Amino acid sequence: MQDPRLRLFSVTVLSLAAFASTVGAAAAFVWWLLFTPRAKSLPRPGVLLPLVAMVAATALVSSWGGGAGLSYLVRMTVILLLASWAYAETENGEVLAVAVWALGNRVGFEVGLVAELGISGISVLRKEIEQVRMAMALKGIRPGARSIVPLAVTLIVTQIRRADEVARLLVVRGYTIGGKTCPRFRADPLDVPAAIAAVIPALLSTLPLRDVFILVG
Amino acid sequence: MRVELADLVFSQDSFTLRGSGTFDEGVHLVSGPVGSGKSTLALLLAGLLRPERGAVRRHGVLTTQLLLQFPEHHITSPTIAGEAASWGLVPEDALALAELSARADDDPFHLSRGELKRLTLACALLRDPDLLLLDEPFSSLDCTAKRRACRMLEKRDAGITVVFSHERAVLPRVDAIWEMEEGVLAARGSVPDAIPSWQHAPPYLRCALEQGARPMNIRLSDAREALCRIRG
Repeated sequence: MQDPRLRLFSVTVLSLAAFASTVGAAAAFVWWLLFTPRAKSLPRPGVLLPLVAMVAATALVSSWGGGAGLSYLVRMTVILLLASWAYAETENGEVLAVAVWALGNRVGFEVGLVAELGISGISVLRKEIEQVRMAMALKGIRPGARSIVPLAVTLIVTQIRRADEVARLLVVRGYTIGGKTCPRFRADPLDVPAAIAAVIPALLSTLPLRDVFILVG
Repeated sequence: MRVELADLVFSQDSFTLRGSGTFDEGVHLVSGPVGSGKSTLALLLAGLLRPERGAVRRHGVLTTQLLLQFPEHHITSPTIAGEAASWGLVPEDALALAELSARADDDPFHLSRGELKRLTLACALLRDPDLLLLDEPFSSLDCTAKRRACRMLEKRDAGITVVFSHERAVLPRVDAIWEMEEGVLAARGSVPDAIPSWQHAPPYLRCALEQGARPMNIRLSDAREALCRIRG
């Protein structure tokens, strides 16, 4: 999907559908199978698997407490797949362009800039994690519960410092509020049908399907 | 003791690194511009990346230590003394070498990057590994600290030391020069014979060579001595 406006719309609607119900998540998964490059849009296993493991652990705890753990696992995994696809497809400047298109050069530029900085921070964070892991390996510290605290401390401190440096750079360059950009969007012939199809899971997630089947039965 | 690169090929996205050669005992300088592949080569030599083709063969190398370019990545302890201890060292020794004895109980993140660099460099040197890999050891250091770092490196009298750096002002005495250019590693050979063919030679060496001097090594003092010799 090339048009970032339709991509943002689709991923928002599908994520809400997946979060709302298991049926919505199943329908969103079918959409993901039909309209995305599937496995090609996924990050490498070293990034995706820990996230899925965290969701699975939460689901397990929920099940033990009598909650809907399996439903949570399915819904959150589908949301992770959608987020991975949206992140892989997003190019530099697209979020800023969409925000300016939607909200104008003042508020839209602010919102878009914050979003762009946040998204660029994800790739920086990934590289930082790799570097810290390597440094720990050099000291003979194996990945595990003991390595989580120093890893988290280093990442938090470096990210805060980076945010501070970026903020200072913006001030030095004269940034105050808002900006000007003329967003232009490319579109693929499949973009509109895919965005319309994204509404179906949202509708399914709001329908009381169980009641419908009882009536039919 | 030696490390051999056998037709090494490593690719990542659109970048490809290629290299062959042997790192014998002594100090090796791998120079080249930023982004030429020096850090990637350091990770390959440390065994933290696997080559796509070819191999990195270590002969007689039992211990390896790599110092990463950004010293904050090494931090795993809440105090400076604890940080030195996490390298398996006696904290007092490491802190004395890094000139940070008075700050043993401080948070390592409260150090400047230059101070942190001094600390990690001191720790890496005190561990005295067979293969010591230093990725940009002079970045973030002022001239005085760079000279001190060079003297610390020169005192290391055994093992293989490989310095990956784009530094062109303050350099240590080295035994061999290598160059990275757009992902290709080229061996310039042993010093002093390698100096005239060194593409990224610092300006003071170029100046000395242009005036007909033949420096015995790559430091500013070596260039000065060579110039004094020809001028009588």
